[in-house]
Amino acid sequence: MLINPVEKDQKRISDLELATGETISDCYQCGKCTAGCPASMDPAPSVLIQFLKLGQFELARNAESIWSCMACLTCSERCPKNVSPAAIIEGLKNLHLRDMDPRVDLETMSRDFLARSPQMAIISGFRKFI
Amino acid sequence: MSDKPARIPYYPGCTMKTKALGFERSAMDCAEVIGFEMDELKDWNCCGASYPLTKDNLMGLTAPTNILIEAERRCQKEEVDPNLLTLCVFCYNTLKRTEFALGQDKKKLETINAFLDRKYEGSVRVVHYLEYLRDVIGFDNLAKMVKTDMSKFKVAPYYGCLLLKPQKEIGLDDPEDPVILHNFLDALGCKVIDFPAQVDCCGSYLVMREPEKVSKLSYDILADANEYGAETLVTACPLCQSNLDQSQGDKVQFADLDGMPILYFTQLLAIAFGLDTKTHKLEEHHIDPLPLLKAHSGADSESK
Repeated sequence: MLINPVEKDQKRISDLELATGETISDCYQCGKCTAGCPASMDPAPSVLIQFLKLGQFELARNAESIWSCMACLTCSERCPKNVSPAAIIEGLKNLHLRDMDPRVDLETMSRDFLARSPQMAIISGFRKFI
Repeated sequence: MSDKPARIPYYPGCTMKTKALGFERSAMDCAEVIGFEMDELKDWNCCGASYPLTKDNLMGLTAPTNILIEAERRCQKEEVDPNLLTLCVFCYNTLKRTEFALGQDKKKLETINAFLDRKYEGSVRVVHYLEYLRDVIGFDNLAKMVKTDMSKFKVAPYYGCLLLKPQKEIGLDDPEDPVILHNFLDALGCKVIDFPAQVDCCGSYLVMREPEKVSKLSYDILADANEYGAETLVTACPLCQSNLDQSQGDKVQFADLDGMPILYFTQLLAIAFGLDTKTHKLEEHHIDPLPLLKAHSGADSESK
């Protein structure tokens, strides 16, 4: 990877910080977020944040692993620097969703699933994936 | 919060009226025994289910604020303490975090008020049913109301995530080492099974996109509870209940584990009170809890 921040990326990272209310440079890569993450994310939360710290916005934005975050908030709770990786990941997801790029196709969703799932799962799913 | 149990405004939320009817009915039946009434808000909307984690999304706060306004008006009209009782953990988390955010940031409150027809004054305190039992009723007093010998029940208290996190906004208990459900089960006289996975995530809404991952996470939690000797597991969250219960239909993932019934804590409370449980939807659980309940307490859906 090039440790060569792109100017355009720096602007987008600042926008992400503004949207999420997080200060990405506060992260000192202790890895507690990744150690506690139940979602087996790869790239892991601390790696996504390191991408952003290195100015590599697209690597973080396009990581497939952001869609596996279930906002359990373990990472945010354990961060010794008061950074919320969950909020940063949600900020990255929102960039796709606000560009009308949903990650769940309701047309192909099984009727059985929709019939037996609690409303809260479906509504949360709408918020996080559509 | 008032010392005397009385009528308390109650927000059910969508799931409580559909997939978690047994949770609501058992909670209401138990409230009657304890001596308080869950007074459902007349005009309520969905809270949005998940609290927006990004700070630029105030739209996500309008729905929960509208609920807080309804509760505030009700409390002012009836001259009762401005508390709002919740059962569903997602609703609790969303409403509690909204209460916190609007209490901390007056500008945010002004922006949302400018958007809504009615204005929120910021007086409501969101309370979970468990919290009400602990802080207003008292687990000691709860213990005195127990009619059934619960000592044969080996129960794992499962907290999940959103009942406890983020701690600085929810403040119900320690998110890594909670005790509220342990103490509740102690009061009932159950054998409490302390197990490491009690605060691990069940996979939550990921069930919509990666159900196989939810199966695996649910298996890890239940295998852990099983290893420590639990026969059943209690939760306060309808999504945890659904994920942990229904994942057990995945016979490949759960090949080496016998079915473990997943109960709402109020369903167990109703058993402890010796109540008629036939409206508590126990038969709708994927893993049937009735054989265990019959074996340990003599309770069944036909009783009384």
